[in-house]
Amino acid sequence: MPDILPRRRTLLASAATLPLLLAAAGCRSSDVFAGPDPLAGRPRPAPDVVTLAAVIAAEENLIGLYRTALAGDSAATARAHDLLALLAQHEQHLTRLRARLIQPPGTATEVATPRPSATASAAAPARVTIARLRAAERDSAAGLVRRLATAEPALAQLFASIAASDATHVTVLDG
Amino acid sequence: MAEITAASALRAALAAEDAAIYGYGVAGAHLSGSRQAAAEQDWEGHNKARDTLTAMIDALGAQPVAAQAFYALPFPVHDKTSAMALAAHLEDGVTRAYLAIVAVSDQRLRDFGAMAMQSSAERAAYWRGSTQAFPGLDS
Repeated sequence: MPDILPRRRTLLASAATLPLLLAAAGCRSSDVFAGPDPLAGRPRPAPDVVTLAAVIAAEENLIGLYRTALAGDSAATARAHDLLALLAQHEQHLTRLRARLIQPPGTATEVATPRPSATASAAAPARVTIARLRAAERDSAAGLVRRLATAEPALAQLFASIAASDATHVTVLDG
Repeated sequence: MAEITAASALRAALAAEDAAIYGYGVAGAHLSGSRQAAAEQDWEGHNKARDTLTAMIDALGAQPVAAQAFYALPFPVHDKTSAMALAAHLEDGVTRAYLAIVAVSDQRLRDFGAMAMQSSAERAAYWRGSTQAFPGLDS
């Protein structure tokens, strides 16, 4: 028991001091204890969430390009074995990226950029050549490196690893 | 997780480059033709990278790690197949080391690490004969 009394004294002293500290900081105690205002709408997503959503959308588009290439271009279908291996790695990228994006239900549509199904009809060509895939891989690697500046360390490492994978894909597509 | 300092990340990359320089010397002895030429080219690339990293560490006012006289090999190397596997293994180690640089706060170093690991991942893919989904990371 003897060690409890000092703790109680400390606690009581802290409770007594808290309003003074809050006043000095220009806060009311209700600001601290009330939590998020339920009427203020959804909080804005953190920068990493916005970045991650954009990278996910880009990865989805890249996967869409591979699928289009495999479905149509004769040179691409002749190299289906290689392309399917690269496509499988892009699907792994997408899985890992999506696993990093944890959002409350109902917020995904606000954060994410257009899904490939939405952009496919407007932007994706009906025929995708090997050269187009090579350019897309190169663009993807460069784009991921550009995003390193604003990403927290672990996310930056994931982006850098995927960029390195994309760079190796360029070499495969050169062959 | 403790923040990785620039100096410690660069020193780890330098150690990986030193190991690669040693390892390519072993691997190259078991290769011939275009593969031996590729090993020599990669060996030269790692020597240049070692010099670059040493200069960067000096510029930070830190002490570069000295290369060891001998490095234990991860497995016996006695033919072309094991030599190529060793080269891929060495490049994987270099890739992991550069990936650690991507975690530092300095933006220029992040870019440097990311670009360097693209080169080592490409070399690893050449020696392995296949690409990886997450170079430098545990899959």
